[in-house]
Amino acid sequence: MSTPLVVTKRMTEYPSDSHTIARYEATGGYEQAKRALGMTRDELVGEVKTSELLGRGGAAFPAGVKWGFLAPERPAYLVVNADESEPGTFKDRQLLERDPHQMIEGMIITAIANEAHLAFIYIRGEYPKPARRTQRAIEEAYQNGYLGRGIFGSDYDLDIVVHLGAGAYICGEETALINSLEGERGEPRLKPPYFPAAKGLYMKPTIVNNVETMSNIPHILEMGGEAYRDLVIALDTGTYMISLSGHVKRPGNYELPHTLSWRELIYDIGGGIRDDKELKAWIPGGASAPWFVPDEHLDLIVAKEACALAGSMLGSGAVVVMDEDTCMVRAAERIVRFFSHESCGQCTPCREGTTWMEMILRRIDEGAGRPVDLDLLIDVSDGISVGLQWPPKMTTICPLGPSAVSPIIALRDYFRDEVQRHVDLGGCPFELKSGETRARAPSSLAGAGPEVRGGSTGSIPSDRESAGEGSS
Amino acid sequence: MTSGQPEFVTITIDGREHQVLSGEMLITAAEDSGTYIPRFCWHPRMTPVGMCRVCIVEVDTGRGPALIPACMNPVSDGMVVATQSDVTKKAQEAVLEFLLANHPLDCPVCDKGGECPLQDQALSHGPGESRFVEIKRNYEKPIPISDLVLLDRERCILCDRCTRFSREISGDPLIEFFDRGNKTQVNTFPDHPFASYFSGNTVQLCPVGALTAGPYRFRARPWDLLKVVSSSLFDTAHPRIEVHASQNEIVRYTGVDNDATNHGWLSDKARFGFEYIHSEDRLGAPLVRRKGVYEATDWAEAIDVAADRLGLIRDESGGDALAVIGGAHGTNEDAYALSKFARVALGTNNVDCRLGDSLSSHFLAGTVDRATIGQLDDADTILVWGPDLKEEHPTLYLRVRRAAQELGAELVVVHPRATGLDDVAFRKLTYRPGEGFDLVQALDDGRYPDVIEALDADNVVALIGIASHADGPHVAEAVAALVRARRGRSDLLPLNSRANTYGALDMGLAPDLLPGRVGVSQEGVGRLRDHWGEVPSVPGRDTAGILEGLISGEIRGLLLVGADPVRDFPIPALAEEALEAAEWVVAIDLFITDSTRHAEVILPAETFTEKEGTVTNVEGRVQKLNNIRPGPGQTRPDWAMLDDLAHRIGAPLGLSSAEAISKEISTVAPAYVGVSWDLLEWEARDGVVVPLEGESQLAHIPVAVATDGKRENGLSLHVARTMYDDGVRLRHSPSLSRLALGPVVLVNPLDATALDAVPGDSLRLVTVSGEGRFEMVVDEGTPAGTVYVPFNQPGATALGIDSAVEAEVADA
Amino acid sequence: MSHWSESTQERAREIIDLYPQKRSAVMPLLYLAMAEEGHLTETGMEEVARWCEITPAQVLSVASFYTMYKRERTGKYLISCCTSISCMLLGGDEVMHAVEDESGVPHGETDEEGLLSVEHAECIGACGGAPAVQVNYELIEGVTPDKARDLVTWLKKARPVVVNTDEMQELFGGRRSFDWAIPETDGAIGPFPAFQPLGTVESEGGE
Repeated sequence: MSTPLVVTKRMTEYPSDSHTIARYEATGGYEQAKRALGMTRDELVGEVKTSELLGRGGAAFPAGVKWGFLAPERPAYLVVNADESEPGTFKDRQLLERDPHQMIEGMIITAIANEAHLAFIYIRGEYPKPARRTQRAIEEAYQNGYLGRGIFGSDYDLDIVVHLGAGAYICGEETALINSLEGERGEPRLKPPYFPAAKGLYMKPTIVNNVETMSNIPHILEMGGEAYRDLVIALDTGTYMISLSGHVKRPGNYELPHTLSWRELIYDIGGGIRDDKELKAWIPGGASAPWFVPDEHLDLIVAKEACALAGSMLGSGAVVVMDEDTCMVRAAERIVRFFSHESCGQCTPCREGTTWMEMILRRIDEGAGRPVDLDLLIDVSDGISVGLQWPPKMTTICPLGPSAVSPIIALRDYFRDEVQRHVDLGGCPFELKSGETRARAPSSLAGAGPEVRGGSTGSIPSDRESAGEGSS
Repeated sequence: MTSGQPEFVTITIDGREHQVLSGEMLITAAEDSGTYIPRFCWHPRMTPVGMCRVCIVEVDTGRGPALIPACMNPVSDGMVVATQSDVTKKAQEAVLEFLLANHPLDCPVCDKGGECPLQDQALSHGPGESRFVEIKRNYEKPIPISDLVLLDRERCILCDRCTRFSREISGDPLIEFFDRGNKTQVNTFPDHPFASYFSGNTVQLCPVGALTAGPYRFRARPWDLLKVVSSSLFDTAHPRIEVHASQNEIVRYTGVDNDATNHGWLSDKARFGFEYIHSEDRLGAPLVRRKGVYEATDWAEAIDVAADRLGLIRDESGGDALAVIGGAHGTNEDAYALSKFARVALGTNNVDCRLGDSLSSHFLAGTVDRATIGQLDDADTILVWGPDLKEEHPTLYLRVRRAAQELGAELVVVHPRATGLDDVAFRKLTYRPGEGFDLVQALDDGRYPDVIEALDADNVVALIGIASHADGPHVAEAVAALVRARRGRSDLLPLNSRANTYGALDMGLAPDLLPGRVGVSQEGVGRLRDHWGEVPSVPGRDTAGILEGLISGEIRGLLLVGADPVRDFPIPALAEEALEAAEWVVAIDLFITDSTRHAEVILPAETFTEKEGTVTNVEGRVQKLNNIRPGPGQTRPDWAMLDDLAHRIGAPLGLSSAEAISKEISTVAPAYVGVSWDLLEWEARDGVVVPLEGESQLAHIPVAVATDGKRENGLSLHVARTMYDDGVRLRHSPSLSRLALGPVVLVNPLDATALDAVPGDSLRLVTVSGEGRFEMVVDEGTPAGTVYVPFNQPGATALGIDSAVEAEVADA
Repeated sequence: MSHWSESTQERAREIIDLYPQKRSAVMPLLYLAMAEEGHLTETGMEEVARWCEITPAQVLSVASFYTMYKRERTGKYLISCCTSISCMLLGGDEVMHAVEDESGVPHGETDEEGLLSVEHAECIGACGGAPAVQVNYELIEGVTPDKARDLVTWLKKARPVVVNTDEMQELFGGRRSFDWAIPETDGAIGPFPAFQPLGTVESEGGE
């Protein structure tokens, strides 16, 4: 079936200049923002509620409902989350680079709907080009009077500030992002009480939405919430961007309806596995999601509900495909290393547990695994996410730590034998088979960054000396 | 809750229903109901952060069981809590195993061992084994993060208590988390140590042995410690402390949490100020000067020598030729004994516990609309016009900071330069020292409408003291009158320095006061006649008057009790000259000081850890001190020496014990009726604010004093006290004495440029009372036109109380 | 009292004005401090602390939380090799190894000359063009170990003043995550993101 393109339509039809304001306006751009100025908050929120647009940052929370929760206190702020960092995900980068005005118009509408006069876009620091494109688009919008004082000749003021992140995946978590915007460490806040819609940026009501979510907003206004909702007949509303990567022939971003099966996605859209090898497993929704395997999941529908029923999630829409030659221990180590590296360090289970898991996995991968290690790994994971289920019973403030156990669930359920072979052989069976030792990237604890030189006064009494004085 | 009526909800904990206060956090509600939920990061006096995760329990609020941190979730009706379920246990055991994974387990040599929450909760809630076989985190250790505190990052469990304390309680965020994830560590910025006046609290807060205190490190095992509750006399609020002794030696004080005063916090001076007790310089025997040299002697001889001459002077020249200075550092019982000794044995009202730098005795003792510390929590507006609370009144500083930062009070701070509270003040006014009256006038004239509006709030608490030596006592009275004239309810807290000044004044240690807030008058004396017999009914001289009397020869004999006017009186040269001129000086003290060295007889005193008694804090709260060790050598309590002296003089005081004196006070001093040791030891362990009933007898109502503002051209001198100075007890406490600033002058960059001086240059300062050389520190907190000299610094010359000063770069 | 150039100070003022609270400017000012000195020094952090009216410890607390604030001397070119899952699956570790080997600079370190720094990075959002490498955060996708060696050699030899993503992609890249449309001439001039408001971008004529 043909896919109705929404957020990627312009960049597909006008690949050379979809990011310019000229092209944007020539294709109907900023008309909805103007229209929104004449609408009430209730009308705008109602339209988005009707559309049943699900947040596209990973949590898939209905955007209209989120807006409805905005506390009455003012000022309110709008924050757009462009801290796309979930391994496997690169769709927001494309939206920012190729159609920034679409997102900006979405922001203007969202700001009006939520009575915000100051909005921020938090773009991850490793995305300078998307940030430049966005900044330029904002400048164009200011020049045309679409931002600043009295936008579109109305009496509504709106400023947008681009804020660059600096290398911390956790800032994609909305409360961590807010802390980061306030100039604090990007540590998540506990919900409750710190729901952004009630106590967000500067403890004021704040709407935090993702780039793709924002990019959909003008279209919802244009076609109407109902039409958007019914765009494709499926379990989930609207369209969804999928970032496809790994061992597929045609990786890339695809805007899709939620009617495909995983088989169609991987074999038809993705062109199948490279070198026509066998599919071994795939990650259905970003590094946080529990893995799927062909025997059980290939004919499930690529949709929120279907994933949830199978114990995983569509998350950020990042699909990472692994072929038959992939070492599952190494793949798991890489996912766990990511979370260990990106753990903010607040919560004990995540800070200590993810590193411990990484150490065990590395040991197994390097041939020093013990027979007890898989069970230990599972039990350590159990201490971060009690019961090892999805969605998790979290022992932590945010889901980062519990996300790290997703690959362990896969090892437990599908690849126990492969782990056992590592232990039995004293090394990686794939390496031993090929006879080559592969390069190994550093662990999350390696190098990088000076140890903080602290303590600057007085002399350091040695324990021994002082202990001697004290004992008698 | 608008009604003020507590609302209760029903929750179920492990199958049992409990009625608990609505809105209370689950962790405390459970504890009050008999179920202990483990915790590390949670602390009752700080914002919950929910970081350590050990308090997570399975809770069902109707939507199925979920794991939630008990420290951040208020109870709600119908909540079902499972603290013993498999899920809860798994989660809590996992947290403890995770915490121990990287913990060094060096408990045998750890100060915290034996009183360690990590040890205790590993036992009660941990898994009982560790499966971590990898290499543990490694850090250089220990590293000093301040002059008093050392950090062992390997032991740290990253609970955010110390960092949170510095951020939200003490307001000097100099220790922080650095790096992230598994590499997260607590530390200071390079070359910016944790130079907080409150750093020691982090040691007490630390739930493991990561933070240790230099003065206590490796000195005792917790299970060997002897402990008594007492109050610190290094802080006018008398924060409650526990005194810990090992083998008869005081090894540390810890803060005791009480609502009334300190919430458990202590300044580092109050926490670490114990080393002087064991100083080798402390006097252990009475000294009598013979041929210019002190000789140790026995009590009988010392009393005879001291008393005979005092008696002789009284007989020859009358009581007016005798005087007493001091008594503000001891107990109320000793102060009462001293007051009675002066009046009954010496026959004089020349008695003063203040040293020429205080508010008037009637203002201090007789303010009837006196605020309590607790009232700060409910105040709409708080005015601080006086000393920098952070320097001189650390407990009040913390309470005012909390009120302004957390509880929504509007804070107005008035001081000649930057203070520790400026960052939480909604309005800060500075003025040139000596021009306080002009500012009062300006306020009265409506020049600062926002301040006046704030003072017109319903509920105002004003903390008023002497901000700068140049101000004298009268600016404060004008401020009090200004505040009182505003619309709403205002309560005043007159500030005094020296810890038990208020108690001493209540015992009559002022030339115009008698015990119990009674003025010296025919009537006041008459009321005392039954107890004291005939005593002089005309007010005597204050300290300045006494010193002048000594110089003129009108006063021949002086008794100094724990006072060091040569260092502590604002014009030290006058004190020096007076003591030099004195015919006969007797001193009761812990040490030979610049003042007591003028005495012919020095009697060795006890510290507050060596005697029992009561003290009265800045708000009028009476609390009990307890002894934990005998004094060294032949030291005795003051009252006993005074009783012996009086006996020898021939006017026995009839004092038999501190407790008996306490009973006499409660009979003689109207404000102290009903205050007994029994009460303070049992029903009122946090003390009682006197008067318990009835009105003060003084009822001092400050009235606006006419302004006599004088304008200085050139620079104005601001002299004020700092936390660490050259006070006698600090001087003999090595850990603290090195923290004093030394002879420095703080100068605004503009003035430094005008003086053509660079940091580190020596400035020569000249006033009418003195001159001296001071190292210049460039300081943006000191306004242009004002130079700031911290008072009584080691090696510094005192410059007196006049604000006019000449400054120039001194020749090298 | 500022150690910064007048233009940097002016930019700092502009950045602070963008936010309702000064402290929010910490992150952009840290980039400014890096741009000023090449990496983040104690002096730089003290300067940021003064601008934001917080303590240096609070600044370091923030700076050390994020991986892009380099607190050690960092090369003119910072090569970040992605070794997260998608890149790893397609040879990211081998690319990383090739870069380390060719440059002689291991992860987290800088060569003596101060020309090259090498690090492995977690996902840089180029999974469709894996394996990917960034030079001063300017992206190259579809890199092979051989091309990675060529990149190191080129950086050492050509020493471009401005690191341009399109130029490098042309020379050393392969498959991309998505079509990039018209090329840009902007690029980075130091080991920090090239972004106009932070003053770290060199424009050679624009698009």
